[in-house]
Formats: sequence, structure tokens, C-alpha cells
Amino acid sequence: MDKTWAVIKREYLERVRSKWFVIATLFGPVLLATMMIVPAWLSLRSGGIADLSETVIVDASGAGLGDRLADALATGSARMRARPEVRVVDPGDVAQAESLLTRDVMQKVHSGYLVVDRETLAGERARYAGRAATSLPAIDRLRTTVRNVVMAARLETAGIDPEIARNMTLLPLRLESERITERGRGGSGRVNALFSFGLAFLLYMSILLYGQAIMRGVMEEKQTRVAEVIVSSLRPDALLAGKVLGVGGVAFTQIAAWVLAGWVMATFRAPIFAAMGLPATPMRLPELSITFGLLLLLLFALGFIFYAALFAAVGSMVNTDQEAQQAATPLMMLVIFAALFIQPVLFNPSGRLAQWVSLLPFSAPILMPVRLATVQVPWVEIIACLVILAASCALAVWIAARIYRVGLLMYGKKPTLREVARWVRYA
Amino acid sequence: MRSRAIFYAHAVPGETIPNALEINGVRKSFAGHVAVRDLSLVVPRGAVYGLLGPNGAGKTTTIRMILNVIVPDAGVITVLGHPSTDTQVNNRVGYLPEERGLYRKMKVRSVLRFLGALKGVNRRAADRRIDEWLDRLGLRTPDKDWGDAKVDELSRGMQQKVQFIGTMLHDPELVILDEPFSGLDPVNAQAMKDTVVDLRRRGHTVLFSTHLMDQAERMCDNVCIIAAGAKVLDGEMGSVKASHGSRTVALAVDGNAGDIRSVLRDPRLVARADDHTRFYEIELSDGADPQELLRRVLDSGVRVNRFELVQPSLHQIFLERVGARGVEEGMSGHG
Repeated sequence: MDKTWAVIKREYLERVRSKWFVIATLFGPVLLATMMIVPAWLSLRSGGIADLSETVIVDASGAGLGDRLADALATGSARMRARPEVRVVDPGDVAQAESLLTRDVMQKVHSGYLVVDRETLAGERARYAGRAATSLPAIDRLRTTVRNVVMAARLETAGIDPEIARNMTLLPLRLESERITERGRGGSGRVNALFSFGLAFLLYMSILLYGQAIMRGVMEEKQTRVAEVIVSSLRPDALLAGKVLGVGGVAFTQIAAWVLAGWVMATFRAPIFAAMGLPATPMRLPELSITFGLLLLLLFALGFIFYAALFAAVGSMVNTDQEAQQAATPLMMLVIFAALFIQPVLFNPSGRLAQWVSLLPFSAPILMPVRLATVQVPWVEIIACLVILAASCALAVWIAARIYRVGLLMYGKKPTLREVARWVRYA
Repeated sequence: MRSRAIFYAHAVPGETIPNALEINGVRKSFAGHVAVRDLSLVVPRGAVYGLLGPNGAGKTTTIRMILNVIVPDAGVITVLGHPSTDTQVNNRVGYLPEERGLYRKMKVRSVLRFLGALKGVNRRAADRRIDEWLDRLGLRTPDKDWGDAKVDELSRGMQQKVQFIGTMLHDPELVILDEPFSGLDPVNAQAMKDTVVDLRRRGHTVLFSTHLMDQAERMCDNVCIIAAGAKVLDGEMGSVKASHGSRTVALAVDGNAGDIRSVLRDPRLVARADDHTRFYEIELSDGADPQELLRRVLDSGVRVNRFELVQPSLHQIFLERVGARGVEEGMSGHG
């Protein structure tokens, strides 16, 4: 036990002290902060919307809709440099005006044009063509403005005072969504989905990166022949256990650092934004229970051991980096396969697919947390998932230990699958 | 490696085990070929024991079984009075593998602490011993402490010294060296030899494998020759040589005048001759008279510097006993 502890300690300390660990651990929160602050900062700078002042309004409505639109657009945003140009045309000349403007837009004289006609006045449709067509916020703003102006015009036609009509149509409405579970309200749905996705992605990355780190570690010991000395002092199984736990500890440390940094940033988001002079909408963090935390820890531990043991076995089988790449591919496919289901599970966390993939031992560690964070998973399913995962984990460790024991001291050519199977049977 | 080395007093209360190692009827096969077959040998306490054999004879496999790295298919191995499977006995054995290596990115001192910890040496004791050994082997001088350097900053020779320190940190009673002289330059080979002699003087038991017969002949109290996985002979060096009789003549001549070769080709006189151009080790035929050989040699016209009835060299015994069946194809890797 002391010897296994010595291995754990070496694996942990050597890795945690390495440059790359420090850089990666710091990089996570920096990336998170960037993702949080930069969009807010950018939207403040650009007004959040592509500049529409270069847009020409082609008015064929015969009711002055163009001027109203230009006024509304010019006053609606602080970022509009000028009132858009309005060209009033007869309904019959619209096609010609459009072809002229199309050429202008191509030559960058204008950025786009908006056609309003009788159909617009009837509340049916308007047409925009131009460079901002792919900018969702710009199109959104155009649509809202056109709708408001048309509504105001129609209200006036119905005999309502123009001032009142204008005020009635100025509705800067925003839809905020919140998630409700059996336990009650649980924070905003968007934040929650984002959180689940981040969590799954974090688990996925940790398993993939640290699994491969273990594989390389085993290869290093084999290539440098350090393994010869070590296994003369302690059983290969104890060495394997030490490596998996040591590297697992490193992965856990990194995740914990990231989660802590994320929590701090989310909690103090408002003061941080205020200090930087950015507007911040209040954000409700998902409410997470102790049970959720413990389950997450258990899932991560079992999942990590499952994959790490197998990666270590692969590392012990091969002699060169190239062989390792090849031999590790099936294992990586399993992890990646699990990651492919993050989004489908997120969209329908209670569906049949989600149920299945959160029971399979190789995808459960990544996908069960997604479900746990988004919906109330029945305890039967949680327990089934844990039992299957724990059993698979034990089996994986048993097989890996047998491959490892033989492979570690076997030099020369890469073993065939048949040979590896024999190691497992007779080791 | 300098010869002056440090050792710690052994506290083995009440232990009066005559033999450091006993191997009894051990057998191991890998995927179709037998690496070690029914091997039995005894290493007396305090001896320098040579495990000799050509490459692929099963030396490394035997050593790995002694260290409990691989498990024999059959047979019993007793190390320092305990079954080799007893994990406690591990801490009293030191092992220097043939293929040497260390964690390249780690600092020397950290590697040694780790190797010490694997043998149950606590941090304080390890640090003290590491410093002592670094001093002794010239890896720590007032100008430079290589203990703080990373392993891959060290020269190959220095890395070998570090690995040797790792073998000795827990002051093992039984030291097992697999081909300790392979890859050493003459200076380090000499130092390694001195170290082995020193270990013996301090009461340690040393088992080493080699395919260099001369080295073994000069150093070993006991030898065991194995070939193709089976024991050819074993025993105390003196008795091994005595049992091969005095049918050997050492002959040294001056220059290359005369026709000595036709004399040596006479099967009535000479069973085998090992020609070193000016020195010959000659095994007499059954019933041949050494006097007759001397007369014939003088008649051939060469000047004789030395003509002596000697015990055969280990090399001769090896050639005689192992001969052509020395190396089996495809066995390397389990030396």
C-alpha cells in the first residue's frame, strides 16, 4: 500500500508541477472569462446590430411607410450614423429600382435595401436584400421595426391618435425562459443547458486527454525500461492502480480548479461587469444539490478508471508512438462516440435514446451527468447506470491488469489481438 | 563508478539462513518455447554467483522469476529464506536490469527518492543515503550537484551511476545484476567489478548474469552455466574446474616460425585447440602424453615460452560443455 502510494504521489506531483498542467489549468478560466466578457463588450461597442444606416428604403406603399421606417430606425438605435435614404417609387417601378440598388450594393455604394409596398401595409410581407441578411440581430431589428411601424400606421388609419399609436407600438419585449422541475424552479433554461453541455464536454475532454496521458506514461516506463525496476519492487497491478489514481487525481484537480473558477465568475458576474463598465443581465445559476455533486463525482471516478485502465493496457502493449495511435483508436472512438450524443441527449434528456446511452458503460460517465443536470432522472435508472458502470469498470481493470502485466516487459513487435487475448487468459 | 562504496550494517537478528537463494525445479515456457526447464541452483550467502550462458539461454527469465516479476509454471524459489512471492522479501533484494533507464524528465534526487520509496525507504533515510552515494560516485561536488539536475541532462555513464544508486539505496542483502558489464566503458566496467568485490567483502550476496566467461572466472565464487533454458553445470568455481581435470595445456610461443599447426591437428594428441596466434589453450586427447606433445612442438621449430599443464578456463569448459547448442534461434529477448 505504501508503494502504491509512492506511485500515486510521483504521478500526481510530477504532473501537477509540469508547465503544461499549470498553463492548461489557468487557460480554462481565461477562456471562460473571455467567452463571458467579450460578447458583452462587442455588443456594447457595435450596438449589437450591423449598421443599417446605409440601407435604402424603397417605398412603394403609397402611404409614407418609408419615412416612418427611416425615422424609427434612426431613433431606435444609438449606433445609427444617419437616417436611411428613402426612395418613394410607384408600385410598377419597384423592379427597376431593385435592379439599380442591387448593382449599388454590389459596388458597395449601399449596404442593402428594404422594399415596403401595399402588401407590407396589409401586414403580409416586406423584403430585404443586402449584406446584413446573415446578421440575425439586424434582421430581427428590421422585422420588429417594420412590424411596429406598420402597426402604428394601421392604428392611425383606424382613427387612433398618432402619438398614442407610436407609444403603443414601442415594445422592447424580451422573452426570458426558466426551467421548472419536480423540485420547483431551477434557474434559467438556457444557462442550465449551457451548464450541462459544459459539464459533459469537460468530462469528455478529461477522459480523453488524461486517458492518453496515462497511456503515454506507461509507454515511457516501458520504453525507458524503468518498468523493469519498478515491477521488481511492487506488483504490476499495484503500479497500474497507482498510475490510474495518481493521474485521476490530476484530472480531478484540474476540473475542480475550472469549476471553482467558473462558479466564482458566475457568482460575481454582475460586479465584474460593472467594474468593466459593461451592462450585465442578472443570471440565475442552476441550483445543484449535494446528491448531484456526489453522483457526478462517482460517475467521473468510475468512468475515468474504466477508460484509464484500458488506455494503460494499450500503452503497455505497444512500443512506438505510431503503434500507440493505432491501438488506441478503438478506445478513442468509444469516447468520441459518447460525446456525439451530448447534443441529442441535451435536446431530449428523458427520451428513449438518452435512457439507453446513459446506461451503456462507455457513454454513461459523460451522458448521465447531462441528464442529471437537466431533468429529474428516476432513481431506478441512476442505480442501474451505476451498477452497470461499476461492473464494467471492474471487468476493464481486470482485463487491463492482465494485459499490462505481460505487455510491460514484452518488447519487439506489436502483439496481435489473438496474442493479447492469450495474455488475458493466462496472465 | 569508483570502488569506494558505502554500506550499512545489516540487522538480521537470529537469521541463520545458509543460502541467499534456492531455486528448485523451476520451469517457464512462453507461447510454445521453453525458456527455462527444470532449473535448480543454490546461491550461498555472501557469495558472488555467476549465472552464465549465451544470449537467449534464459538468464533474464530466471532473474525475473527470482524477482517475482514473472511466475514460474512449476518449481519453487526461496529468496533469503522466504518464498519469492512474499512481497516483504522484495525490500531486501536490489535489482539492476540489463536494459537500464530512468524517467528522463525527473530530477535525479526525485527519481532516487521514488525508487527508495518503492523499497520501503522513508524520505529522511533516503535523502541521507542519496547524498552519501552522490558524493561517493562523484555526482555531487562543491561545484555541481547533479542530484538537482534532470535525468536527461546527465551523460550515459552518469545515468548508469544513478541507476546503480537506485539499486543500492535500501541496502539490499541480495544484489541481482543482469549483465552489469554490458554497455560499460572500460573505466566503468572496472569500477563495477570493484563494486561487486566490495559488496562481497561487506557480506552482501551478489548474483550476476553475464555471457563474458573471463569476467565471471575472475570474480565468481560459484557459477551456473545454462544453455537453451537448461542447466549445463553448476558449483563452486574451484570444483567446477577441478572436475574438468588437468587435461589442458597452456602453450605460449615466440613469433610464428615453424609448423605448429600440423602438430595441433593431430587427433591422437589434441582433442581441441583454441588458437590465439601466440597463445594456445589445448585440450589433450584421451591417453595422450603431454611429454609427447611438448616434444612434437619443439620439433616443429617454434620457440616455446611457456608450456604448462593447467586447469581449463571457464571459457574452455563452456565451449566443451555447451558447444554448438549454445544459442537457440529466436530466444533473444528472454536472455
